[in-house]
Amino acid sequence: MKANKIAIADPSPIVIAGLSALLRELSDCEVVLQSDDMHTVETRLRILRPDVLIINPLMIDFSKRRMVRSQFEDLPDMHLVALISSYVESQILKQFHGVIELNDDMQRIKSTLQQVSVKQTGDAEMDSSMLSDREKDVLICLAKGQKNNEIAENLHISTHTVITHRKNIVRKTGIKSVSALTVYAILNNLLEQKDII
Amino acid sequence: MKNIDSKIPVVFARKKMADLLTERSNLISLLPRLGVSLGFGEKTVAQVCADDKISLPLFLLISNVYTMDDYLPSIEELRQCPIEEIVVYLTNSHKEYLEYKFPHIEEHLKEVVADWSEKYKRLITNFFFDYKNEVVDHFKYEEDVVFPFIKKLFEKKSPKKNRPRRSAFDKQHTNIEDKLRDFTNLLIKYIPADVSQRERIDMLEDICSLSDDIEKHALIEEKILFPYINLLEDESK
Repeated sequence: MKANKIAIADPSPIVIAGLSALLRELSDCEVVLQSDDMHTVETRLRILRPDVLIINPLMIDFSKRRMVRSQFEDLPDMHLVALISSYVESQILKQFHGVIELNDDMQRIKSTLQQVSVKQTGDAEMDSSMLSDREKDVLICLAKGQKNNEIAENLHISTHTVITHRKNIVRKTGIKSVSALTVYAILNNLLEQKDII
Repeated sequence: MKNIDSKIPVVFARKKMADLLTERSNLISLLPRLGVSLGFGEKTVAQVCADDKISLPLFLLISNVYTMDDYLPSIEELRQCPIEEIVVYLTNSHKEYLEYKFPHIEEHLKEVVADWSEKYKRLITNFFFDYKNEVVDHFKYEEDVVFPFIKKLFEKKSPKKNRPRRSAFDKQHTNIEDKLRDFTNLLIKYIPADVSQRERIDMLEDICSLSDDIEKHALIEEKILFPYINLLEDESK
């Protein structure tokens, strides 16, 4: 199995050093980033693309704490684990895929991380399944060069739903660009080359 | 457990150039772009750079970007690199992509699609050449707009016009990187199993090496070149 790439962000260097020492003992983990500076974390995350970000919610700006996921929405495959040293509102914790507390033992940390990665493989199985009929409809419209609002109108759905379908198409196929999705659609006989303008 | 302490660079001045290249073979392809010739015997990185008249800080910086996942130079390190040499390096890289890497992939592509039906042949070939044209346009934009802007800035002519827009620039990079990955996915996952396996693998190897290379290349432009522009602009104020 490929090692999980892990990033750690906490205001305390002692906590960071301690946690990475513990994680080093787990064979399926590789700590790729550790920092007490949020700016560094944000820039490096985008380069390193870790599988898991273990982050103290205190690192996140107070005004943004309720929208943690949206801060990392460009990293949809990354799992968020909260590292907590003091009381954190449950509303905030809900946004994380798992929680590690400062006094958790090795076993506990290990199982939290395993649960997070199990969820990941669960998702992956779903991903490999075929596109739904609706997603195929959206894909065909995309390949024909239609914009989100045109697709919404044609299929009688909201633009928001079109965007959700598009995200799912990208997640399931692993293909991001419209031109490559068009190739995918033709390879899968969803439409003919002559249909494309 | 690599990259725990990213502050220790893999490449340093007193290391033997030959040792460096055998340890990190992906650096070999950078030599012609940097202007380093093979046959340097036991010389260190610093000696080779001095012999070939290449800026040592620039050599270290670029090789570190290519060997470490999360390496970003500090402002001080950046300041030591002559910006004209960065631009020459980037222009050489463009040339190498277009004159060597792309033609190699094109050769493979011809073999891959040789026995395909006309419909699929056209589909994949068109995708690839549309992509290549996009890359050519982007390189041209950099060479015609971005690099001359930097040159003027460096000569303290403070150009007012044509300031390259960072957001548009990053977007083009993401697009170029995404499409190459899309192409890999199409070839790995969605072209039926029974056709041109061997040829497809040869081509995939070339595409993946280009894809890794272009990712680092974009990183140098986004995280090094643009901050450098800002630095020069601040200084000229």
